[in-house]
Amino acid sequence: MEESPLHPFELHNFIPITLGGVDISINKAVVMMWVVVAVVSTLLIIAASSRGRVPGKLQILAEMLVGFIRSMILDTMGKDGLKFFPLIATLFLFILFCNWLGLIPGTYTVTSQIIVTGVFAGAVYLLSVVLGFVLHGIKFLGILVPPGTPAWMLPLMIPIEIISQLARPVSLAVRLFANMTAGHTILAVLFGMVISLPFYVSWLPFAATLFVNTLEVCLIAPIQAYIFTILTCVYLGDAVTLHGHSEHAH
Amino acid sequence: MPQFDSTFFSSLIFWELLSFGTLMFLLYKYAFPFILGELEAREKKIKDSLDQAEHHRSEAERRLKEYEAKLSAVAKEAEGILAAAKERAQRLLDENEQRLTVEAERIKGDATREIEHERRKAVQDIRNQTTELALMVAEKVVQRSLTEADQRKFADDALEALSKSYQR
Repeated sequence: MEESPLHPFELHNFIPITLGGVDISINKAVVMMWVVVAVVSTLLIIAASSRGRVPGKLQILAEMLVGFIRSMILDTMGKDGLKFFPLIATLFLFILFCNWLGLIPGTYTVTSQIIVTGVFAGAVYLLSVVLGFVLHGIKFLGILVPPGTPAWMLPLMIPIEIISQLARPVSLAVRLFANMTAGHTILAVLFGMVISLPFYVSWLPFAATLFVNTLEVCLIAPIQAYIFTILTCVYLGDAVTLHGHSEHAH
Repeated sequence: MPQFDSTFFSSLIFWELLSFGTLMFLLYKYAFPFILGELEAREKKIKDSLDQAEHHRSEAERRLKEYEAKLSAVAKEAEGILAAAKERAQRLLDENEQRLTVEAERIKGDATREIEHERRKAVQDIRNQTTELALMVAEKVVQRSLTEADQRKFADDALEALSKSYQR
């Protein structure tokens, strides 16, 4: 019987747990989150503790990652944005390692769960809105009026901007979820073909699997983590500075 | 799609928030400050080194300009000294020449005067000797003694005659 290509996304509870009537059972995705937390924290804590005059490979890698996130924040939010460094850096590392570790056969891609990406996107957007109102009060509603809009255009622009604002968390969540799901689905389909086709043609989908997997590891996984993080920076930056809130890539 | 099965939503949200919170706490506490600190320290060191290099460069440039200015001043001074020395040497040369000319003139004048003096003296001597000779001859000729005044008159006359003949 042919297995569904969406089969890798199915979850099964290993240990059923409820907390105050809420189901918090342990499943494969949860275990993967723990693995990601363990791997990321171990790597970075080891890198942070092995500080030498001549940095080691791990330290260089960690410094490159941290420096990359730092410059991303500085570019989009300026020096004030560094207050959000722990949040943004953790978000980037968590998503990046969820994407990467999920590519190991037999594991689970946490970021292919719409609820996981949705919670991140919703939290980031909520944070940006709350931050905007806390910092600027009612003036923050000015974000709905792009600079230079003539007054007669306002009845048209404000609803469009409201839609654009609401689309932000949705696009943020769906982009990551869809990319991860699509990549793994393609891999599952290709690998299914490797198994089901006769051996003299099965090398073709096998080569394609290798190619797509390499593409996922080297490009899609880091790029999606990067896009999620840089948009987070942009949204938070908008809330902090109340400027440059025109269209961003969705 | 299995991802839209809401059965797992509550556990995924709970564990996601907990895992993310734990990771952020661990990294915030044990990793980021050290890595960022190291990164900033290195950046600062590089920036300081660059600043220092820039400072040294501008200092070197300033010194170069200063030395060039000094060098040109020294060259100008040397030129001045050389010109003054030349002028002084020329002046000394001129002075010496003038002094030697004057000295030579003076020596020449002295010599001329001396010669003239000697000549006059010699003429006087000859005159005197001639007078005495003439007197002696005259005495012998006239065989008598004349008074001093006569003798002198004869002598003078003789000399006059002699001097005329000599001048001729």
